[in-house]
Amino acid sequence: MEENRVFNLTSSPQLRSEHTVTSEMMNVIIALLPASVFAVFHFGLHALLVILMSIVSACLTEFVFDYIAKKPNTLTDGSAVVTGLLLALCLPPSVPLYIPYIGALFGILFSKCMFGGLGKNFMNPALAARAFLLISFGKVMTDYSTDALSGATPLAILNEGRTVNIGDMFLGLVSGHIGVSVGLLLLGGIYLIWKGTIKWLIPVSTLGSFVILMAIFGSEGLDFKYLLAELCGGGIVLGAFFMATDPVTSPMGEASQIIYGCFIGFLSMIFRTKSGMTDGTSYAIIVANMIVPLLDKYVITHPFGIGKKGQTLPVPGAETKKGLKIPMSAALLAAITLIAGVALAGANALTADRIAENALAEKLESYSSVVPDAESFSYDDGVADAIEKMSGEIYGGGSFGKAYINEAVVGTDASGNVIGYAVSATSMEGFDGEITLSVGFDTDGTVLGIEFTVINETAGMGMLATEESWKSQFAGVKTDAFILNKSGGSTAANEIDSVSGASRTSGAVVNAVNAAIDFYQNYIAA
Amino acid sequence: MAIYSFKGGVHPKENKELTAEKAFVELVPQGDLVYPLSQHIGKPAAPVVKKNDPVLAGQLIAQADGFISANIHSACSGKVKAIERRLNASGVPCDCIVIENDGQFTPAPGVGEKIDYSGLTSQEIIAKIKDAGIVGLGGAGFPTNVKMMPKNPEEIYHIVANGAECEPGITCDDRLMREHTDWVVEGLRIVVSLFPNAKGVIAIEDNKPEAIRIMEEAVKGDDRLSVLTLKTKYPEGGERNLVHAVTGMYMESGALPASLGVIVDNVATLAAIYRAVAYNEPIMTKGFTATGDAFNAPGNFIVRLGTSLREIADAAGGLKDGAKKLILGGPMMGPAISNLDAPLIKANNALTAMMEDEVEKAELEMNPCIRCGRCTRVCPLGLVPQQMAVACERNDIERFVKLNGADCIQCGTCSFICPAKRPLTQLFKQTKPVAMSYIRMQAQKKEV
Repeated sequence: MEENRVFNLTSSPQLRSEHTVTSEMMNVIIALLPASVFAVFHFGLHALLVILMSIVSACLTEFVFDYIAKKPNTLTDGSAVVTGLLLALCLPPSVPLYIPYIGALFGILFSKCMFGGLGKNFMNPALAARAFLLISFGKVMTDYSTDALSGATPLAILNEGRTVNIGDMFLGLVSGHIGVSVGLLLLGGIYLIWKGTIKWLIPVSTLGSFVILMAIFGSEGLDFKYLLAELCGGGIVLGAFFMATDPVTSPMGEASQIIYGCFIGFLSMIFRTKSGMTDGTSYAIIVANMIVPLLDKYVITHPFGIGKKGQTLPVPGAETKKGLKIPMSAALLAAITLIAGVALAGANALTADRIAENALAEKLESYSSVVPDAESFSYDDGVADAIEKMSGEIYGGGSFGKAYINEAVVGTDASGNVIGYAVSATSMEGFDGEITLSVGFDTDGTVLGIEFTVINETAGMGMLATEESWKSQFAGVKTDAFILNKSGGSTAANEIDSVSGASRTSGAVVNAVNAAIDFYQNYIAA
Repeated sequence: MAIYSFKGGVHPKENKELTAEKAFVELVPQGDLVYPLSQHIGKPAAPVVKKNDPVLAGQLIAQADGFISANIHSACSGKVKAIERRLNASGVPCDCIVIENDGQFTPAPGVGEKIDYSGLTSQEIIAKIKDAGIVGLGGAGFPTNVKMMPKNPEEIYHIVANGAECEPGITCDDRLMREHTDWVVEGLRIVVSLFPNAKGVIAIEDNKPEAIRIMEEAVKGDDRLSVLTLKTKYPEGGERNLVHAVTGMYMESGALPASLGVIVDNVATLAAIYRAVAYNEPIMTKGFTATGDAFNAPGNFIVRLGTSLREIADAAGGLKDGAKKLILGGPMMGPAISNLDAPLIKANNALTAMMEDEVEKAELEMNPCIRCGRCTRVCPLGLVPQQMAVACERNDIERFVKLNGADCIQCGTCSFICPAKRPLTQLFKQTKPVAMSYIRMQAQKKEV
């Protein structure tokens, strides 16, 4: 019967699971869909275009590379789509379309194809693309404003010490990158863990260590609401579930995964609390990607049973004890965070007071310098309430550009008489983003002077605005608004000569000062 | 009741429903019976018959040659047709005794007679097990009498009857526990009686509720025996995982269960022990499952050792037209075979025939590894197959050993789960022997 038949000869196992590389990638795409669809409804159609452009660019790059390099076409595995989608989710919603195009092209070409394609890249291509875009197009990459929303992300607001609505952040009803809906991303992440597509230890140890470390070193300490806000802000959830877990660039062993996750949590905390960036999760993951080969090489998982012997032989008749064992992984996770925590806590305790003192002193100094006669400063409840009500929105509905009012204080002399006011205002439209300054007023509304507290403009150009000679143009003028004179040679008192070659910086400063004047007239004088 | 298990493992399609309700049918062989002299771990047995010698069913035809070796008996009456080299199932030539079957199955004197064994000493029982040629019938083929003689019998606390039967498709152990419950239970009692401090545990996966119920019924009232329900998961029946599931203890790599006070025996082995001790019957027959979509009538059979696989396939209704792969054993660990010429030996327990479409599903094109880590999560021994595979591909034996690759039991879970369809287990099968000799070499160097 079977004499002339040919049977296939293979080595066992003769069964294969239904998982394929394509199905794994499909799982990731499915997990990201809710957040992507939400983003389109929340930010508008442009977000959809950004997502599509990013995916098309990623696929096209891979296709063309495969064609030129005479490699088999690898588009069907779906990994390029995942890269494109992930990149889009960490871009601001209103970026021009060349941004996702260039980003995906860079990520796929230089971080994936050049290293041998799928499975060979040493760094997550989407994050490599984002890092590249941030360096090359810093301005548009940090502008989170859309037609409907202001540019200040909740995390930026949080960094300034103001309160945010955590519920809105969780749902994604705030400004931010396209993947803004933390709740939906979390849902996707849980789906992936359930499907077994991602290594669950990585997001758990990343987020776990991040929260613990933020509780120790964050500006608010062990405050539940603050920690939740930090978790919901920025890209930590997107990163922990979808980027840190990129299979190719994350470690294999369980112990390695925990170390890797804690490392990301640790770096994210450092970048958030100590660096100039509002959020550094993407850099944290890229740096952690670098240590993966080392972890794979040196942290070797012990096989079943090794190092677990030495249990006493069970007494016959007694039920074998299978008591609660703390999993090795959990113990390791706890130990690593504890050690890192204690070490940092020590360093922090030594420096924290001084850093806080310095910041306060700097602020007070700026107030003192703009209201020089004041002996002390205090808050006015009515004014503080008015600022609270603005809850981080652009001041004046955009008539001063992207300007914000941060704080206003009342200056009194030695005998307690009010002699002036100081208003802290910010414009986000400096050449390098934020410019924050204090404006001093006397009691009849004359500007006494201005002083910068945050300014990072180009040295020798925009930074010339900090020169006394330029700042003094504002002093002693009583006006409803200053006017920028870009050609120089001003005659009127409320005309300000632009800093040569830095009209953008000058414009931002004038806008911020005008916002402060407007605030003074409407909320303090009134 | 708690369900015991281990970390890792996979859930391949169980496929047990094809044969689980098919009762054993006795298969009467028509053709010659063939006995390879090597069908156990250890030295091949030495023939004690010559060509043309008449033989009876149950007669010794080859004798254990050395401590780790096993007797072989004829399962039919007739005469010795030849002692010659034939190909075994893997296509390797080996010495075989061929018995011309006269169709009478006349038993040798004393074989099959019920005897009262209550007065036998441990030594006598172990001698009977040895004489009967019993080896581990779960697949390993290790001589059972050797297992029964640990250094300190009073330090054996657990006798585990392995009824997990975690390989997909195979149901002969399930049927054995249900149809010949007393053989298994009595066999376990006999083994437990050899060790003063031992208790017997029958470990069964929870996908065999009927077997569990019947076994629980059978051990009721005997405080030295109990039934333990295991979670249905592959490879629950692997020795190290089973010992952990039952006792909570971990076996060191390279250790024997006896070092933890445990002896593991397959339920079929226990049944054979009972037949040997109570009926003076050497191992002549085996419960056997012929399953898979490519058989016209899959089922369970009581087959005489030495019967050609072709006769078993015929008993299962023959192969369908689209049959594309024959597997000796279950699909997870069984090797594919090229034809049905080979005879049934002691360690075989199933023949699986797969149709073309199923084979195609299992032979997909290989993709690059995406390091997804699924292999690490399912490895029942907690190894990192992805890293081991890289070491294999680079021929880096030192690294393979460092990654504890020598502990691999080749259960196939990593290859099964791999989304990129990489031949992980297959690589380890090739590399493990090299790794073992490397380890021996290192040990020798140390001694010098």
